[in-house]
Amino acid sequence: MSVAATRPETIIELRDATREYRGHAGTVRALDSISLSVSRGEWLAIMGPSGSGKSTLVNLLGCLDRVDAGSVRIAGKDINTLSRKELDQFRAETVGFIFQQFHLIPYLSALENIMLAQYFHSMTDRKEAMAALERVGLGDRAGHLPSELSGGEQQRVCIARALINQPPVLLADEPTGNLDAANQQIVTGLLRSLNQLGHTILMVTHDPEMAQMADRIVELHHGRIVAEREASLAPHTS
Amino acid sequence: MKHERRGQGLSLPMLLRRSLLHRRSRTLAELVSLTVSAAVATALLTLYASLDLKLHHQFRAFGANIVITSQNAGQPLPPDALAIALQAAGPDSRVVPFAYAIAQMQDGSSIVVAGTDLTGARATDSWWQVSHWPENNQATPVQVLTGVRAAKALGAERFSLTYNGKSVPLQTAGTVRTGDAEDSRIYLPLDAFESWTGVTPTTLEVQAAGSTRQIQAVLERLRLALPGSNVQAVHQLVEAEANVVSRTRSLMLSSLVLILLTVAICVLATLTASVLERRRDFAVMKALGATQRHVGLLFLLEAFVLAMVGLLCGYVLGCGIAYLIGEWNFHTAIFPVWRIAPQVALLNLLVAVLAAAIPLRILRHLEPATLLRGE
Repeated sequence: MSVAATRPETIIELRDATREYRGHAGTVRALDSISLSVSRGEWLAIMGPSGSGKSTLVNLLGCLDRVDAGSVRIAGKDINTLSRKELDQFRAETVGFIFQQFHLIPYLSALENIMLAQYFHSMTDRKEAMAALERVGLGDRAGHLPSELSGGEQQRVCIARALINQPPVLLADEPTGNLDAANQQIVTGLLRSLNQLGHTILMVTHDPEMAQMADRIVELHHGRIVAEREASLAPHTS
Repeated sequence: MKHERRGQGLSLPMLLRRSLLHRRSRTLAELVSLTVSAAVATALLTLYASLDLKLHHQFRAFGANIVITSQNAGQPLPPDALAIALQAAGPDSRVVPFAYAIAQMQDGSSIVVAGTDLTGARATDSWWQVSHWPENNQATPVQVLTGVRAAKALGAERFSLTYNGKSVPLQTAGTVRTGDAEDSRIYLPLDAFESWTGVTPTTLEVQAAGSTRQIQAVLERLRLALPGSNVQAVHQLVEAEANVVSRTRSLMLSSLVLILLTVAICVLATLTASVLERRRDFAVMKALGATQRHVGLLFLLEAFVLAMVGLLCGYVLGCGIAYLIGEWNFHTAIFPVWRIAPQVALLNLLVAVLAAAIPLRILRHLEPATLLRGE
């Protein structure tokens, strides 16, 4: 039985989602009629080799792209029906991004990088941004530029930035891919506590151990879901 | 961007400042390109605006461009012809009378003597190579300007000439060399010439100022004012002037367009590189909820700020370049022409906007997920 089926509320629902790219060599079907449901508060790991459609799925789940056929509903809204502007606003309110390469703006301090997410969402609030930074244990590094922070610290700033607007969905793309073992543990711990606080986490990973932290794992291959299973290490509470 | 600020938060000016200062070398390259663009536009437009004046000034050095003679060759002009011509030609023009006679030297050989307003001739015929202009019209013996060939024939600085049996003592104050008939003549002040020979002017040389059209107008006025005289333009000079002015203007406009296009390509390359270098930063902003308008505005404002700073620096630099070109080529300073400032600003903004078009297109097609995944 699917874990998702036991959860009361579906926050993400893909129905026969298809995305094609047209190029000189012809049309490539990056996602091929994928159907997937994610419940609120669920931690889903997405795995698959390069070219399997993970990037396209991240695009769709992050409201950065639209399907050619089928539908994607996030928090009850069909994103294909939203205008470009509405989609930008919806993305800022609904999805928090955690990247493998951190992608902090190099000329802004740790605190300002967090405030940047507030700036594009609605308005900046230094106190709130500081509290987010303190939550990830970097209160004393607020004025440091990304180049003055370690990889683990940068990833924690990235997590604080993803959380600042309290989005219901966190999209983590290889969140520990660039970290050493100690920082992996810190970040994994942060993600677990966020999930326990009710955040839905969609995590793309190559790391089978990391994937085992999730509630459920889906595997993509050639744009299709080829496997879907419960993760073994997940502390299920349902 | 309409967001309110609470406390000491982020603002658009702060983002712009940080971004520009963080990429110092790239910012400097963009600034230099836009400064060059403004400097070139300022220098060329300043020269273009001052070109007519400077070239006409240059052509005035070649002497008279209108000649008035009696309708019967060799006959004197009416006594009031000079006054009429001065009035008709206008205050910007010069009119110089010339009277000619053939006198005898002491050895009996003939020589052409001319009476003229030496001060006027000095201003009109500034291309004459004169060793020293006679300065005292009242001196005795009369101070004269002697052509180099005439001086050789005379053999002495002090000499006497005879006209109609009347001799006058003369002294060479300086010599004139033109490579033409003037080299064989002796020029006296008109008053002394008239009282010696009784001959009045037969020729008025007019140096009219202004464009070809203005010279043509002076010509028409003179023809109307002196109906009994021959009023002729020195066509070679007038046409040459018109051609040179027209071709120089075309050349300068073409140069301006070509240089600005070249600079625009340089700015385009720099701005494109700037976007490509920061496409991940822009992608992050998009992922964080920035709209296409936010990102485009941020980029365009950067280009605008640099274009404005470049405009200020370039305007000052361009005025300096125009001044130096004026000094070197026309031996006269070309000062800033304030009325071209809006045109320079417009051109610089046009260069910036043209150069920003392709980078903006790149920005519009950024795919954050692909970029941020490092694929």
